[in-house]
Amino acid sequence: MNFNNCGDILTIQFGHYANCVGTHWWNIQEKSFNYSKNEVQDINHDVLYREGVNEKGQVTFTPRLLLVDLKGSLGALPENSQLYGDVIEPSEAQVEWEPARVDIKEENKLQKNKFQQDLEDEGNSQSVAEYNLENDVKVWSDFLYARFHPRTLNIIKEYQHGNDSLFSIYPMGGDLWKSEQFNEDFVDKIRNYVEESDFLQGFQVLLDSTDGFSGLSTSCIEHLRDEYGKNIIAFPMIPSFYPDYKFQTEEERHQSLIKDSSRVLNLAFCFNNLRENSSLFVPLCTGKNGWRQPGEKRKFYHCEYDPELYYHSGAILASALDTLTLKYRLKHTSYTLRDLSVDLTPQSRIAAAASLCLPFSLNSDAELIDCLDHWEGPLTQTITPNCTLGTDRMIQLYTLRGISEDRLKRPSSKAGTQKDLPAYKCETIREMLEFYLSCTTFTSINNVTVVDSRLNVETPFPKIFDKFVGQKGNIFASPRQPYADVDSVPVMAGLHNGSGVGEMLESLHTQAKRIKFARFHQFKNAGVEMDDYSECLDNLFDFRECYEDNYFI
Amino acid sequence: MAISLLNPKAEVARAAQALAVNISAAKGIQDVMKSNLGPKGTVKMLVSGAGDIKITKDGNVLLHEMQIQHPTASLIARASTAQDDMTGDGTTSTVLVIGELLKQADNYISEGLHPRVLAEGFDKAREKTLEILEKVKIPVEVNRESLLDVCRTSLRTKVHQNVADLLAEVCVDSVLQIKKDDKPVDLHMVEIMEMQHKTETNTKLVKGLVLDHGSRHPDMPKSLKNCYILTCNVSMEYEKSEVNSGFFYKTSEEREKMVLAEREFIEQRVKKVVELKKKLCNGTDKSFVVINQKGIDPMSLDLLAKEGIIALRRAKRRNMERLALACGGIALNSFEDIQESHLGYAGHVYEHVLGENKYTFVEDCKNPSSVTILIKGPNKHTLVQIKDAIRDGLRAINNTISDGAVVPGAGAFEITANKELNVFKDTVKGKARLGIAAYAEALLVIPKVLATNSGFDAQDSIVKLQEECRLNPEPVGIDLTSGEPINPKDAGIFDNYIVKKQIINSCSVIASNLILVDEIMRAGMSSLKG
Repeated sequence: MNFNNCGDILTIQFGHYANCVGTHWWNIQEKSFNYSKNEVQDINHDVLYREGVNEKGQVTFTPRLLLVDLKGSLGALPENSQLYGDVIEPSEAQVEWEPARVDIKEENKLQKNKFQQDLEDEGNSQSVAEYNLENDVKVWSDFLYARFHPRTLNIIKEYQHGNDSLFSIYPMGGDLWKSEQFNEDFVDKIRNYVEESDFLQGFQVLLDSTDGFSGLSTSCIEHLRDEYGKNIIAFPMIPSFYPDYKFQTEEERHQSLIKDSSRVLNLAFCFNNLRENSSLFVPLCTGKNGWRQPGEKRKFYHCEYDPELYYHSGAILASALDTLTLKYRLKHTSYTLRDLSVDLTPQSRIAAAASLCLPFSLNSDAELIDCLDHWEGPLTQTITPNCTLGTDRMIQLYTLRGISEDRLKRPSSKAGTQKDLPAYKCETIREMLEFYLSCTTFTSINNVTVVDSRLNVETPFPKIFDKFVGQKGNIFASPRQPYADVDSVPVMAGLHNGSGVGEMLESLHTQAKRIKFARFHQFKNAGVEMDDYSECLDNLFDFRECYEDNYFI
Repeated sequence: MAISLLNPKAEVARAAQALAVNISAAKGIQDVMKSNLGPKGTVKMLVSGAGDIKITKDGNVLLHEMQIQHPTASLIARASTAQDDMTGDGTTSTVLVIGELLKQADNYISEGLHPRVLAEGFDKAREKTLEILEKVKIPVEVNRESLLDVCRTSLRTKVHQNVADLLAEVCVDSVLQIKKDDKPVDLHMVEIMEMQHKTETNTKLVKGLVLDHGSRHPDMPKSLKNCYILTCNVSMEYEKSEVNSGFFYKTSEEREKMVLAEREFIEQRVKKVVELKKKLCNGTDKSFVVINQKGIDPMSLDLLAKEGIIALRRAKRRNMERLALACGGIALNSFEDIQESHLGYAGHVYEHVLGENKYTFVEDCKNPSSVTILIKGPNKHTLVQIKDAIRDGLRAINNTISDGAVVPGAGAFEITANKELNVFKDTVKGKARLGIAAYAEALLVIPKVLATNSGFDAQDSIVKLQEECRLNPEPVGIDLTSGEPINPKDAGIFDNYIVKKQIINSCSVIASNLILVDEIMRAGMSSLKG
């Protein structure tokens, strides 16, 4: 019996911000591919990737991924995959028609940025070119390193990507799902992927939860549930910044406030639907508050990023995702996506929180035992909005990557004061961390997974680490050489469920309740009645009560 | 003005200015679409900034591709695409006629005629035109020839003539195959499958079903003759159940035991199928195919492969229905008391591999009432173009069947309507007749543009046609190769009745609405607090 094969996962990304995060995630994974057979790898890439053959008979290895975005969001990336079939030069000869009566309408050719150009002429790829991606990146495809299968890209023609995109409210997405593009083509693509795989663990859905994509993705999740009944983990994303926050005039400030309100409504509808149809959902945002101004950014030691750039904040969330999901994509484990969602969601607590420590700062000359001994505050910083993680009655699943076992403690001959610490008896990193957690939390369930490989942060990952982070992610007392770049870092990330998640739901409920729904006529025009709104609020309130500990124990 | 008191930011255009805005928008969109009309229109190749290609001649596709910003233009565009949704054709005509109606209206309004009077005239003219349409329509019998004519006329305006003629035959044959007596045809029972392979002239009709997946086991046969087809919606894969998930509380031995017990349950199901196969096929030349909507895991596949059964998993939901119609039998939801009468039959089931894609052909069915049109083409944009054309072709055939009538094409209807409206105009009293005159003139835009697109002088052709029309009681259309009048009946050029009817109705309504607009304003919610 093929018990150890965990099976495949289909990833679906909805919306521009989700795609930014997703792009970083696929980049991180592809950068860490190791083609040498000698080294033992602990990550099973087959879980998220698929092997295929293109028209020329070449073997391809592409993400098992479907992504959806609006027209114009691809920038210079063609919709037709270059991996499969050549790009055709437009000319009259392409059309079987009288050449004089062929009308070619060419839009201005979009220039690829330097990074993409270098990727194209592969000979050049080794050069250590300096890219200015912070300024060059307009859309996610500008820093895309991975190559996609032709099935992957799905572009919505009805709406144009841009600041004043009209695809801004929840019910629009639901309507779009009913159109032929989704109800036939997209559904077929999902089926094609599912058909291919022998064991399907389930689906992970990355979605934008503040615009029309909230409705589209939740309709899709409903479909997945009906059709495949499998496990669906949803990661609703909340962008760290909106261009309309840079208002100049009073008028623009009003506009921004109205937009904020409709974002809160979208979120409320979205969460309400996820509560019903997903197996687990984890809201992610690099801002503290998430809704009504994302608030101040979450801070990480030795890491300086600009929350206004999706390119930066996306990278933070992608690091968390890559680390968290390791649990169900390791080679020597039978732990699946389903196990994760069952373990983490007792008593219909479908929503959970995530946290991150990037980089996991271990001094270059120190051992984990000292590091934990001197650690102040919680190990990781939450990246779920409006949510403080307590230490009481929690279910927590941690993943630590990139700390090798020989950094655990000094051998007893040189141990010195380490010997006096009770943790010295622990023989593995996992044991020590679990011991640490059991000492710092109360009546909680903690589980730790330890993985060898570090998080790869080579370009196109943004340069967000400060000068004390070494090439391999260790922390040094003196700044590193200016020519050396950080290429990988250790990371710790966690998934949590506990009363803190209830706070998040309560905050959303309060905000959504305050809105005068009748004023938002776009919702009404799209067929959402006052009753739907109040029902949604009631559901959220009931959902929030699942997190009351008084009822729980 | 009230709105500017309430909202000083509101942008307002009034009366003549508002009309001018609407008319210029209508003209603008008309200009874009004009060159598409008819079999001699231009093909448009749209190249995006990233180098993606889209080739089309279809007005509907073009309107969907263009990002129309102007509110009036997008209103017209929406009316035209609604036309397409309902009837599958006539998008370009709708845009042209609306544009022309407004152009004509502009002439009269600038001379001081009140728009309301004009709109009244339009409405009278519309009613009259519908009467004329009833008169000129030709009742047809549903047979291959008449359907081919209509379908060919529609398709030649969308793809090259050679391809159009081929596709017309494919479409007509497919509809005739699935049509049952007098029942309305369900076009969903014509599956459209694409294969990026060879050229578009290899597109063909498969009297059976083509599935876009194949067996997932190396030992399964690639081709079987004389097959029983079992269609079902029964899971044949092991799934972890709730009690078996999570790892906080269980030892791995305990879990493994549970897995085995649950796995046993699935195996029982597979064995039922195997038993039936053994009973029916062993010792005969018959073979067995399983097509399942749910999953089949490798272990179940293995059991089936050992018996020489082809098993397909995760079939399209709609294909379950199609399979039952193509092969007979019924789609099963459980294997309890499964028996021979539940099964369908196909003469030949085989697999075709194209790169990483597998296709399974289920052919040689007994009198199938669901068929597949297999589109081929060398690249993606050709496939898309052919697929769009086939959809429209099927719609045209279906319209003809449900209408039981057709309308002579090549501009013949418009010429006749123009003549009759001009006669009718004289019987109407008052200024409303001016509206009728405008309407009659506007209809001529269709033959005019047809002539222009074929390289003839518009006035020349119209005059010739009108003369011929006065002398000849038969409908008169324009021959696009010579520019001379012809009888469309002889040339086999027919349009759908419902398409014309829809054009007349929607164009009149939209045009009337647009000329009655006397104030356009843009004012958002912005000054109200959220």
